[in-house]
Amino acid sequence: MAYDTIVLGAGLAGMLAALGRSERGERVLVLAKGHGATHWAAGCIDLFGAATNPLAAVRDLAATQPTHPYALVGVTALEQGLARLRAACEAVGYPLVGSAERSLLLPTAVGALRPTSLVPATMVAGESRQLGDGRPTLIAGLRELRDFFPPLIAANLRAQGFTAEGVYLDLPPSTRHGAFSPMNFARLFEQPAFREQIGRQLADLVRRGGYARVGLPGCLGLHQATTVVRDLQTQSGALIFEIPTLPVSVPGARLFHALEQALVRAGGQMQIGAWVRRGEVQTEQLVAVYSEAAAREQRHTAQRWVLATGGIAGGGLRAEPTGEVRETALGLPVQVSAAQSAWLAQRFLADAGHPIFRAGVATDRDLRPLDAAGRVVYANVAVVGAAIAGFDPLREGCLEGVAVATGFAAGQH
Amino acid sequence: MRNIETEVLVIGGGATGTGCARDLALRGIRCVLVEKGDLTHGTTGRYHGLLHSGGRYVTKDPQSATECARENAILRRIMPHCLEDTAGFFVITPWDDPEYGDLFAANCLKTGVPAQELTLAEMLRREPALNPQISRVFEVQDGSADSFLATHATAQAAREYGAQILTYHNIIGLVREGDRVTGAVLEDLRSGERVQVRCAYVLNAAGAWAGKIAALAGLTVTVVPGKGTMVAMNHRMINTVVNRCKLPADGDILVPIHTVAVIGTTDVHVPDPDTFDITPEEIQLMLAEGEKLVPGFSQYRALRAWAGVRPLYKDVDGASDRDLPRTYKLLDHATRDGVQGMLSIVGGKWTTYRLMAEEAVNEVARYLGNTKPCRTAEEVLPVPVTAQRSPAPPLAGSAMRYPRHEPAAPDGPRLNGVRAPIGPQPIYGLDAGFYYLGQHLADVEREHAQDELICECELVTRERVLAALASGAANLDDIRRDVRMGMGPCQGGWCIYRTAALLFEQRVADGVSSANTNAALLHFLQERWKGLRPVLWGDQLRQARLDEQIYVGLLGVHRLQAIAEPGGGLVTDDSR
Repeated sequence: MAYDTIVLGAGLAGMLAALGRSERGERVLVLAKGHGATHWAAGCIDLFGAATNPLAAVRDLAATQPTHPYALVGVTALEQGLARLRAACEAVGYPLVGSAERSLLLPTAVGALRPTSLVPATMVAGESRQLGDGRPTLIAGLRELRDFFPPLIAANLRAQGFTAEGVYLDLPPSTRHGAFSPMNFARLFEQPAFREQIGRQLADLVRRGGYARVGLPGCLGLHQATTVVRDLQTQSGALIFEIPTLPVSVPGARLFHALEQALVRAGGQMQIGAWVRRGEVQTEQLVAVYSEAAAREQRHTAQRWVLATGGIAGGGLRAEPTGEVRETALGLPVQVSAAQSAWLAQRFLADAGHPIFRAGVATDRDLRPLDAAGRVVYANVAVVGAAIAGFDPLREGCLEGVAVATGFAAGQH
Repeated sequence: MRNIETEVLVIGGGATGTGCARDLALRGIRCVLVEKGDLTHGTTGRYHGLLHSGGRYVTKDPQSATECARENAILRRIMPHCLEDTAGFFVITPWDDPEYGDLFAANCLKTGVPAQELTLAEMLRREPALNPQISRVFEVQDGSADSFLATHATAQAAREYGAQILTYHNIIGLVREGDRVTGAVLEDLRSGERVQVRCAYVLNAAGAWAGKIAALAGLTVTVVPGKGTMVAMNHRMINTVVNRCKLPADGDILVPIHTVAVIGTTDVHVPDPDTFDITPEEIQLMLAEGEKLVPGFSQYRALRAWAGVRPLYKDVDGASDRDLPRTYKLLDHATRDGVQGMLSIVGGKWTTYRLMAEEAVNEVARYLGNTKPCRTAEEVLPVPVTAQRSPAPPLAGSAMRYPRHEPAAPDGPRLNGVRAPIGPQPIYGLDAGFYYLGQHLADVEREHAQDELICECELVTRERVLAALASGAANLDDIRRDVRMGMGPCQGGWCIYRTAALLFEQRVADGVSSANTNAALLHFLQERWKGLRPVLWGDQLRQARLDEQIYVGLLGVHRLQAIAEPGGGLVTDDSR
């Protein structure tokens, strides 16, 4: 099958790029080794850390950091990308709320408050302005879920001046034993009988404690989260909000599913489990890539390509013991600003982060990869998301924002 | 100010100190052990875990070799649950002097170190990953030892016989009345309280810190802290201890222990046992030496690097540290310095800790007029609650897999009038129950505890974390030493968070606040980072980024810094 565009990588950036090109009528294939960063992040859309107005801060970058990926694609790409993502989530009944022009603070699974911008409706009742309205909050979990500890979350919320208590609920007795992962709890919550049992316990606690809202682990259903939250609210008589748990991220998986649905509707195809190992080049154009799956090599051809394989965490970049940093799919030149001895700060939580994680592929404003001399390497390749050089998506708090802006941009031009 | 009266004050909660406390207690001598950190906080908790056969020392230090061989047999009897019966190889690689093989074999015989030459085909059958260019191989009775567990078991035995063990107590001063040491002033690092100890005798078993302790009594003991750097790989590419068959050098031992293989070590003189760095050159050297034993070694995933400081005693100014005697020394300050009531134990190695303790306590007992014999070689150590295990291991070490050959030398030389243990020794493991690699998995499967795993990498269940907390673990690092939480490939990505929360839930009744827990969590993350930094590339760098995504991106633990404060004994300043 001949494709117009092949996208390597199935995170937010890759999926939005694929969606954009499919909707423009191209034949599109997403080739990915596995899931992207969606599945280990919070499932919220972080735009620019704690900036009071993230959009304004992004606009300012054009002057202060012209090679930042936000500055390369411009603020309009971010706004339009966010609109497309919201529409995709809306279409599966999983609305995102919030605005690019202000930050929200949501509690984490240790009870810290984390800034973000767009959040699923299932989380918004935990926003700090609501938590601080003086009415008590209950944090409730299940002991069987090893990634959620209500007493610690509540204690840390109290230490920050909120009224909160933590409690463990009883696992409904009918539940079979085994495999109490966040993903399996998500499936359990989609069973009406299971959530009714939980809802009944919550109703009792809310009646006795007068709680205005209840924070639960972020695994309230995979495909029907909105229904699960609505039912639990009705039954308990309090607002329900989810708190993201450790990976695997159920809210992140929901974002992926929303984009997957949109892509399939637009006629795009996906092949997950295909690990692209190298490319084939003719006169400065990438003409094919070779993927490995099931111990077999497969050749894929397309006119245009989008590289959305992520940074070091995603596996798109790999650092060798010798100090070389490779781009793993196509062998593109990688820009590393720090010598190996300066890759990592002395302190794990150093404010500025670790310089190695700013490594990536330098691009021009069309996101085409550049070599060290600033020449375009392949004119028919666009690089998106965390694979781009010169920013730290985690420490700058812009992982999803840059993915959305660059992914959307690569889907348009 | 608290007051404690006792007969003997033991300083140091490593293998030697706890060994002394147990020996004293078994002889009915009242004692108090004081340690500034947790048990094994110093060098004991920072070594590669090799139970020496003695082979390493047969040429350079025959006395050490003989002591190792004898103690090896004793430890197999008294603490099988702390040992894995891996067996060991001494291999001659193309980089080693082929002539040394015959000398090694002859010296093993002389020193009473059981050794047996194997065919290369047999070696490769047992360890297919070893370098096929190896030209000769000898099998010895090396093993791997869980020095955390062994020390806890020893301490538990000491307590059962009445010893008092004070962890997180720092020695501020030793009390001297004229030419006699009569006690010490301690600080309880958790409460800040002062503790006055009056005693008849002080046993300085502070290892690399022994010089600092002796100075508190106005005495000079020159201990050369010899830094040894080790790297843990995420994979047991070998299941037998592998030594280079040559005179001891850097990076020549590969030890399979628990879920990892550890390569060690370097030997670098450092001025202070509390401050040292690991250099990239040391790591490169370890990986390059590993390649000589196992081709492709440097392509395996390095999990973390750490260093311990050997307590090498310096009699005279020597040349390089490795030439200092490995054999320990007892420094009786009465005969040496004219100061009564204090003995310093310096030098030595983990494998001979029991013997060191026995000889030191012999001196103390003589001084106190106690004539009861030492029983530490006979009594089997208890099994701490954190090491609960399946009742019937399906196999025990290499003994089951690879039946031994017949004895090579029926009538060897004699040591102290007793025939030296030449040739195969009785395998105690089948009866006594050595630790084996699948032990924790068997426990998890037997208990159907798959959903109770707090640390998936090391198969640590919630029950074992809670047992560690119940048995006195004060902070996350203590729990790590008890159950290996956070020591696997992910280096704590999931379990540090889970364990911190469990710690909070268990200790909240004691007044531990979330601010204390936050401090413990932040402190432990930084401790893990120290060990990771030297080996971050490839998959482990990717893992570190995922851990950063979890702790910074998802949990936002850095935002807890404003509500984190030390307290409740969860974090103590170990630089003191």
